[in-house]
Amino acid sequence: MKEKLKTFIFAELIYHEDPASFGDEDNLLDAGLDSMGIMRLIMFAEKEFGVTLPDTEIEPDNVGSLNKLENWIKRSGQA
Amino acid sequence: MLLGPFLHQCDLQPDALALQEQDRWINYRQLLKHAHSIAAALQSCGVIPGQPVAIHLDRGIAAASALFGVLLAGACYVPLDLKNPPPRLSFIIADAHVQVVLGLGVAPAWLDESLWLDIANYAAAIPEPVEIAAESLAAILYTSGSTGQPRGVAISQRAITAFAAWAADLLALSPADRIASSAPFFFDLSTFDLYAVLGSGGSLHFVPAGLSMAPARLSAWLMAQNISGWYTVPSQLAFLGYKGNLAQTPLDALRFLVFAGEVFPTPALIALAASLPQTALYNFFGPTETNVCCYWPVERHRLIADQSIPIGLPAAGCELNVDANTGELLVRGPTLASGYWRDGCVQSFLNADGWYATGDHASLDQHEYRFHGRMGRMLKCSGYRVEPAEIESAVNAMPGVKVCAVIGIDDPTAGQRPALAVVLDAEMTIAEIRKLLSRQLPTYMQPSRYLILEDLPLLANGKMDYQRLRELCEA
Repeated sequence: MKEKLKTFIFAELIYHEDPASFGDEDNLLDAGLDSMGIMRLIMFAEKEFGVTLPDTEIEPDNVGSLNKLENWIKRSGQA
Repeated sequence: MLLGPFLHQCDLQPDALALQEQDRWINYRQLLKHAHSIAAALQSCGVIPGQPVAIHLDRGIAAASALFGVLLAGACYVPLDLKNPPPRLSFIIADAHVQVVLGLGVAPAWLDESLWLDIANYAAAIPEPVEIAAESLAAILYTSGSTGQPRGVAISQRAITAFAAWAADLLALSPADRIASSAPFFFDLSTFDLYAVLGSGGSLHFVPAGLSMAPARLSAWLMAQNISGWYTVPSQLAFLGYKGNLAQTPLDALRFLVFAGEVFPTPALIALAASLPQTALYNFFGPTETNVCCYWPVERHRLIADQSIPIGLPAAGCELNVDANTGELLVRGPTLASGYWRDGCVQSFLNADGWYATGDHASLDQHEYRFHGRMGRMLKCSGYRVEPAEIESAVNAMPGVKVCAVIGIDDPTAGQRPALAVVLDAEMTIAEIRKLLSRQLPTYMQPSRYLILEDLPLLANGKMDYQRLRELCEA
């Protein structure tokens, strides 16, 4: 899941960072992920992983890094 | 002049709420007192009417007070985008001929300290009254320039006043209004908040920065603050409509939403309109040079998912025309800026007949104007104007770069993104260009794609073959 997210993010949302040197804990928001990027990321994740990500949980804390994103999506899938 | 309606409100209702930022708020009397003191401090620094003063503050109570202080001194403000790297900010300070930079605390390391004026560090005072002519400059807003450097759009008191009066009337602004404010002051959208709203006696509520990433908390904030109107960018509203928890968060007070700066994708607008059936929606259109020249009150029954929405009717007394040969949108009227700021002077951008050629492709369809994209090379990236020439000039100045070209590629997130094709010496690398560019240009100007070529593709006449370049970059 994390690799799919990473591939999508660095192909579609953030271009000017080198994905090879971008760590799972590195801050996606500092790297330029903006509100429109988060929206597309959520649309992608809901479709790709068959989950519904609750509106009220869309927070910088849940989308701030690849690890945080993966944890959040997995949690939402179990609910 | 521009502050006339605001000063009138200060007389009428000095105790009314003017600005709110997080848990801090000030009324009209307090805002005027702050602004007076800043104006007096500027005068004691020798600032004279018409002189540009830079604002090194993020949007909020302090920045709004500083802007009003600059205007009360008869000077004109140059709001800085603090996300810009220092070399770009230094260029703007020098280009604008700024003698004073207003900020809070100590001066940033890149700035000549003698220019810095700390707005927390002055005594309450009343400035000397100044005569302000309608045509004197109120603001210089910097955008990306086709000359390869940032370019200042010089806007008169008259132009902003004309827009603010029109918008206040269109939206029937009143002292009862509580308006959300999220536009940075270096964007022309902010002129609505500062002059239309505060000139009508309403209050401005600064949207806390983190909320743009958390749409459900944003809608909860809009509800809790009883926000009655908001002028913002489509991407923000699209996110609110899509994931703003609006079914559980009734925004009963919200009379209107206005959007500008980007094309609103129609499916997202349909979703928003369905979630907010009581809220009037407006599409405003116009480059910084015209502020708003065209507007469309959204007619819900005419929204069709696969059709773009019109930009609508002439706004604020502007005249519009479409060049019969080129299809370019031409504008003249009261909201037009005075010109570009060059070497301390205003250089007009009007043609011989007094029209401003926008560089936008438009058509007239049954009394309504429609926008069909840009004609020149300018890109619109995440709502910001980006001139490829500015990126090219930065890259061409790097050692080991022989030649480069920048084009725009379509991007569903940002609208467009720049892509860079470059011819390099053996020792230069893309990684190095990335590193150097990130120190010189803001994030939205960073290329999304890099392509190393042996030679740039040229047409038979020796000019760049942008069509071929696009094919190479999109391959």
